[in-house]
Amino acid sequence: MTEQDGYNLRLYVAGQTPKSIAAIANLKKICDQHLPGRYEIEIIDLMKDPALAMRHQIVAIPTLIRQLPEPMKRIIGDLSNTERVLVGLDIQPN
Amino acid sequence: MAESDRDPKLPLFADADETVAAIHQGDVDAVVVMRALEGPQVILLHGAEEPYRVLVERMSDGALTAGSDGVILYVNDRLCELTGCLSAGLVGRSLTSLFEGALPTLVPEATVEANLLRNGGDAIMPVAVWSRPISIGDTTATLVRLTDLSIHRRAEQIAAAERFARSVLEQSTEAVVVLSPDGHITHSSGRADQLAEQPPVGCMFSEAFPLEAQSTEEAGTLARFSTESLDTLLATKPFHGVEVRLRGERNAKSTFLLSAGPLVDDTKSNVGSIVTLTDMTERKRAEEQQTMMVAELNHRVKNILAIVQSVAAQTLRASGSLDNFADAFTGRLKALAIAHDILTQTRWIGIGLSELLAAVLAPYRSSEETRVSIFGPAVLLPAHAVVPLSMVLHEMTTNAAKYGALSKQRGTIEITWQVNGSLDKAVELVWQERGGPKVKANAKASAGFGTTLIDRVIRHDLDGKTKIDFDSEGVRWTIAFPVGGPARRHVALPDSAIA
Repeated sequence: MTEQDGYNLRLYVAGQTPKSIAAIANLKKICDQHLPGRYEIEIIDLMKDPALAMRHQIVAIPTLIRQLPEPMKRIIGDLSNTERVLVGLDIQPN
Repeated sequence: MAESDRDPKLPLFADADETVAAIHQGDVDAVVVMRALEGPQVILLHGAEEPYRVLVERMSDGALTAGSDGVILYVNDRLCELTGCLSAGLVGRSLTSLFEGALPTLVPEATVEANLLRNGGDAIMPVAVWSRPISIGDTTATLVRLTDLSIHRRAEQIAAAERFARSVLEQSTEAVVVLSPDGHITHSSGRADQLAEQPPVGCMFSEAFPLEAQSTEEAGTLARFSTESLDTLLATKPFHGVEVRLRGERNAKSTFLLSAGPLVDDTKSNVGSIVTLTDMTERKRAEEQQTMMVAELNHRVKNILAIVQSVAAQTLRASGSLDNFADAFTGRLKALAIAHDILTQTRWIGIGLSELLAAVLAPYRSSEETRVSIFGPAVLLPAHAVVPLSMVLHEMTTNAAKYGALSKQRGTIEITWQVNGSLDKAVELVWQERGGPKVKANAKASAGFGTTLIDRVIRHDLDGKTKIDFDSEGVRWTIAFPVGGPARRHVALPDSAIA
């Protein structure tokens, strides 16, 4: 994967809240379907280290940050609306 | 928030509207707020779920949530400890990859057992796996709880080992007790319970088993230790092979071998000792019996040599020629040998009179049964009487063969006896010869060495009496001797008994 075509995603969650769990499951499903082999996901649990919220100014949880490709993008919520996620991340549906 | 902590690529007022809208629309269930002192804090928006979340995150069992495709979405800290992996290394993996082999099919609300891989597969841990399906929004997932069974397994192993050890103790035929390092008895075998003065568990060894040394030499060994120091010695040092007796009437006749050995745990640390009291009473008795038998054997061998020596000397004296000596001496030795065979076969208990007669007279009864008749009540001859009586019967038979009834074709011998008395039994035996050469009137005066030997042996060795009658039809011996009195220690024929 190169920086040009790869997606580097970071998902901020809060332990095992329902929307955090749902966001992880939904994101993995969307990436497997639309970005196979072209993504990296890092899951940050702010329950364990709230200070990590500062880097991306996280206010609401769950929040997905697209770090790459630039520009950086942000999607808030449990990512259950696949179409909205694809649009928010600039992914062309397969 | 310090400006330096912020990602410089992030727009300064990034998506503020979207954030507010998401919170209002219920798309989020937690927010991050800044506090002056503590810094950023996560606030959950659904307060009712907080206790459960804390429970899951703090509970002592491992917990995870897996998506419908079996991919792990969440793990608690305890599961990280159990697997030896960080949370980031577990989320995203498949649930089945956590276990050795194939994970048994999960049944909702039920528990199955599996082996959890630890430290990347370097070790395994037995776990109980409980699961339950849940719905998260539109998504279905599975809650999984993993309980460490290794403690239970270890407890089961310890319990099994304890049961095994107890069973060994209870089944032991030896008296075995386990002492703690301070000398108190913690376990005891059934045999130890029987020997102890009081229920032994909880007592000091010396209280339950007060000792006396068996021998003077070993008394010195025990005397070096006071009761307290003996307890300490038994509990801490190997201690072997001291013969002891237990005080008290119950065990007064028993001898024990006292031994102690260290009891160590898995780390080879001394955690007490195992003390055994081996009952040696039977062994001691056998040793004493063996010693006595060796002494008895020595005594008997000396007696036999004395008899042989005496018979040889007297036969030589009474023999006119070497041929006569050889015949007479060989015959007497055979009689002696027959008597010893009988004693050996009967383990020196004795033999019935009729059996002794049958053995001695066998050469004359095998083919001519009717010439020698034997008739009388059953009577057991004591061992001390067997050799002298054999010699007597041999002389009488030899005389009969040379000069009496057995020297003629139609001569017969009738041997009868009766037993007199009840406590001090005595046998009166009559040896009646018939059909032999005509007895001369002066035969008594010419009685030979054999006759003299019979008379002397009956009187000296059997405490009996003899009478010989030279009837016209044949010689008649009447001999009487006791068979119920105390056994005589030796059966040697005194030189004086043989004229």
